[in-house]
Amino acid sequence: MAPEEIIAAAGSGLPPEVGCEADHRGVMLRVPPGHWLAALAFARERLDCDFFDWLTAVDEADEGFSVVVHVYSLAGRHHVLLATPLPRSSPRLPTATGIYRGAAWHERETHEMFGIGFDGHPHLAPLLLPDGFEGHPLRKDFALAARAAKEWPGAKEPGERGVPGEPGERGAPGERGVPRARRRGPPHVPDGWGPA
Amino acid sequence: MAAVDLPPPGVAGRLGTGPGPGVITVDTGSGCSLRVFDAGLACCGVEVAAALRRGGALATATSGQQLNVFIVAGTVTDKLAPYVLEAFRDTPLPRRVLSFGACANSGGPYWDSYCVTKGVDQFIPVDVYVPGCPPRPEALLAGLTLVLRGE
Amino acid sequence: MGAGVTAGTPADGLPARSRGVIALLEENCTVCMLCARECPDWCIYIESHQEPVPGAEYGGAGDPARAPAGRGRQRVRNVLDRFAIDFSLCMYCGICVEACPYDALFWSPEFSYAETDIAALTHEQGRLREWMWTVPPPPAHDQGQRPPQD
Repeated sequence: MAPEEIIAAAGSGLPPEVGCEADHRGVMLRVPPGHWLAALAFARERLDCDFFDWLTAVDEADEGFSVVVHVYSLAGRHHVLLATPLPRSSPRLPTATGIYRGAAWHERETHEMFGIGFDGHPHLAPLLLPDGFEGHPLRKDFALAARAAKEWPGAKEPGERGVPGEPGERGAPGERGVPRARRRGPPHVPDGWGPA
Repeated sequence: MAAVDLPPPGVAGRLGTGPGPGVITVDTGSGCSLRVFDAGLACCGVEVAAALRRGGALATATSGQQLNVFIVAGTVTDKLAPYVLEAFRDTPLPRRVLSFGACANSGGPYWDSYCVTKGVDQFIPVDVYVPGCPPRPEALLAGLTLVLRGE
Repeated sequence: MGAGVTAGTPADGLPARSRGVIALLEENCTVCMLCARECPDWCIYIESHQEPVPGAEYGGAGDPARAPAGRGRQRVRNVLDRFAIDFSLCMYCGICVEACPYDALFWSPEFSYAETDIAALTHEQGRLREWMWTVPPPPAHDQGQRPPQD
């Protein structure tokens, strides 16, 4: 099915609240949470998407989470992405396992990594994390303990001796310490993770 | 179309009948022979498999016994760690442990992950560390030579 | 050896630009810290200090470009105290070798440096210099490639 046909079918078969976008990868359906199961059933039956590829979540910072599903039609050879936004506090969604049984492990992983609840899931136990793990690691506010604990070797400026964060020893005439305000942190480590 | 339940993995649907851990005997020539128990957890497992197929010349050992070498090749996750420990305990004595690759040495490129054990020596005594990501198969043979030299 | 042996064993000669270990040519290092900053594993440890360059002062008697208006600021240079690479963490990505603007880091194909003590896998300056003697000459440019500019 060509993207235009998919969009036309979605326009007629799904409620108007469902948005459609097409790009080079395929068609993305933006589904409000209330129409989630209807949209998945529509993708399976009307759009012929019988191959369930993955289900995961995206941490959108202030906008909450969005759960994204990728399904594919083997006969029609088209990809369809379905995305639904969820609020940050108590994110819940009905389980997709009634429509795609393969979503079972994906929802377990999304549940333990992001803390999103899937109502009606047969066995929502942790899948990959060890027993007793606290927190939801793939949330953006989850600090990586190793990066927070280890001192970044690149913290010192060239030629600076001493402990980073404290003024360098002024050994040689003309040698200057680096002003604390200008000190940069390691790349890709948010502020506030570093050792206190 | 409704959701379908697929049969569990294993030979003819019977659980627990899939492939098990491999035990390979490496003959070093005169004296000692090494029996290698490979815990091939990730990419390094391929290099160990290549090394064990090639064999190659190992240093002549001084003792005439059979030595069991438990090789941890690949990333150890916190979830898998208890089973790696069990596999280590199942390795018969006399045994040595060889940590193969950066992940088994120290966590390697995944040292910052929330679920990776930072080195298998966190819970198993390691005799030889082979650095690399992944190390060449010949590096494993050099590491086994170091194990023998320690005898 | 049986069938299915991959080519490229050391007996056949290792391929060009094989990544075995990283060598440091200390003379080229200006302690710019780029390698330590770019390393994704945070496995390069550098310590340094600054020393005055004798006889070189901005605006002073030694600087012909400036008018002799009195003593200027003392020129300083970075001195490397410690350069260590922790090969138990290193993932051999080569970002440090590529990032170095002064060609102080080189790839060497040596791969047999297993240790019984993990601390010994952190190679300090002396050992990194010794790896320099194993660095092969750079391979010839491919045919049809633009000639090098330097």
